[in-house]
Amino acid sequence: MSLLDYDFMQRALIAAVLTGLAAPAIGTYLVQRRLALMGDGIGHVALTGVAAGILTGFAPVWTAALVAIAGAVTIELVRARGKASADVALAILFYGGIAGGVLLIGLADSTPADLHAYLFGSILTVAPSDVWTIAVLGAIVIVLCVGLRPQLFAVCQDEEFARVAGLPVKLYSVLIAVMAAVTVTVSMRTVGLLLVSALMVVPVATSQQLTRGFKATFTLALVLGVAASVSGLVFAYHVDVAPGASIVVIALAGFALAWPVGTALRRVRAARINGEDPRLGEAHVAAESHPHRHSEQCGHPAVEHEDHTDYLHDGHLHAQHGAHYDEH
Amino acid sequence: MSQCVLDVRNAQVRLDERLVLNGIDLAVAPGEVVAVLGPNGSGKSTLVRAAVGLIPLAAGEVRLFGTPLSRFREWARVGYVPQRTTAASGVPATVREVVTSGRLARRRLFRPLTHADRESVERAIELVGLTEQADRDVEALSGGQQQRVLIARAAATEPELLVLDEPNAGVDRRSQEAFARALRTFVASGRTVLLVLHEMGPLETLVDRAVVLDAGMVAYNGPLPVPLSVAGLAHDHVHGDVTERGLFG
Repeated sequence: MSLLDYDFMQRALIAAVLTGLAAPAIGTYLVQRRLALMGDGIGHVALTGVAAGILTGFAPVWTAALVAIAGAVTIELVRARGKASADVALAILFYGGIAGGVLLIGLADSTPADLHAYLFGSILTVAPSDVWTIAVLGAIVIVLCVGLRPQLFAVCQDEEFARVAGLPVKLYSVLIAVMAAVTVTVSMRTVGLLLVSALMVVPVATSQQLTRGFKATFTLALVLGVAASVSGLVFAYHVDVAPGASIVVIALAGFALAWPVGTALRRVRAARINGEDPRLGEAHVAAESHPHRHSEQCGHPAVEHEDHTDYLHDGHLHAQHGAHYDEH
Repeated sequence: MSQCVLDVRNAQVRLDERLVLNGIDLAVAPGEVVAVLGPNGSGKSTLVRAAVGLIPLAAGEVRLFGTPLSRFREWARVGYVPQRTTAASGVPATVREVVTSGRLARRRLFRPLTHADRESVERAIELVGLTEQADRDVEALSGGQQQRVLIARAAATEPELLVLDEPNAGVDRRSQEAFARALRTFVASGRTVLLVLHEMGPLETLVDRAVVLDAGMVAYNGPLPVPLSVAGLAHDHVHGDVTERGLFG
């Protein structure tokens, strides 16, 4: 019997595909903003939401989403104020999230073990009603991350420039925080709250080993995210481990493979760029208009080169040749 | 009277309770190239940041193209080059991708780039002499080249007013000259420039008027050369490169 014949496995696979796309999509912007750990913080806070759902009898997906959004917006507001105490405020929020979750679970007469499925994912817990929630929320995140890429790229690249370009930077920043929170909630059934941040960050880190542009990094991160998410789920099905663990280990294995390749690629590219540089060839290239005569006093380091003296100027060598300077 | 491109009146800015700008008046007419000079901490960077709405005023008023800043929406008329040491962020981005975000003030949501967008991006990259580097990761470029990427990004907006915050800070001579050439082309088309400088370098011949700030107030506002009485303010730092001809000698 194939694994696709099980209803629960079909639901888990749908959730895994959406998670594998949404997490690196929003993760790319978080990494670009150097907020790679934001997903972690939201995951901690969402735990309180899950416990509140278990305590009150509401669906944990929705209570987790509400609390995660509130936490993410708080993190964004603290960040935007840019105060030195921001990281302490964030830490307080993270601890409060975990402690609140365990406390509420206790009040609900459950044990922290009941949270296990939410912390590390669980194939069996994707209920039929959950699939729709996950599908709709995940699809919204993916569509916005792709459709608003020019705007979100600019906001994450250079906030001040984006403001002078007339973009509503605060609105986009809150949107990114809310989408990160929604992604955490969508992912908690597959990767789990404690490991969702890894699926946001690791595919992006792997991708940028091999790429040199934003669009390429973004696209490859989504492909890697789906690959890790689906293969991790299938692995978890066969050996009966928490899917969060297998998904993240596979994603990390991808990074371990890509890292040496990336290092080699960068070396080759650097060599090729240098190889194409006419200044390093034998051709006679005159330096562009030159404001001063190189001499002992000009401040440019002098380098003895065979029968003459070169001057190190802006990363390349100038040699006097009659009235002008050659590039050496 | 012809309409001012930028009109700052009695601007006061407080940062952490400290009065950084204390009643600045500055009017920039169409086609002018105005340099803001002054020692570190004189408020020159704060002035241009307040002028484009990045810092709120405690008192006074800023008008862009005759419209008060709070109601100004035509951001495609303004190009801004922030003071940065790098154009890179946490994820790789090519020169072309960074410059393309200069078109955002002219683009609508969920629409692909138009032919005109692509053309002006390529023109802006060519303007700063980085055509060959267009597909490279900005992080792989030199500091001066990265600064030129930021200038190209502002130029891609095709603004009427270009505001630059220390475009030459920490930039090698070659990039300064490339920038001066780009700015000359830009000014030749009749557009307006406001730039913060800590030294004139190769830009001296381009600048029409200097505004020298000292302790948040205007110490001089007029043509070059700056009179000797305030020249010390405009030229306060130590040159690293001994061949660099200073602003005033």
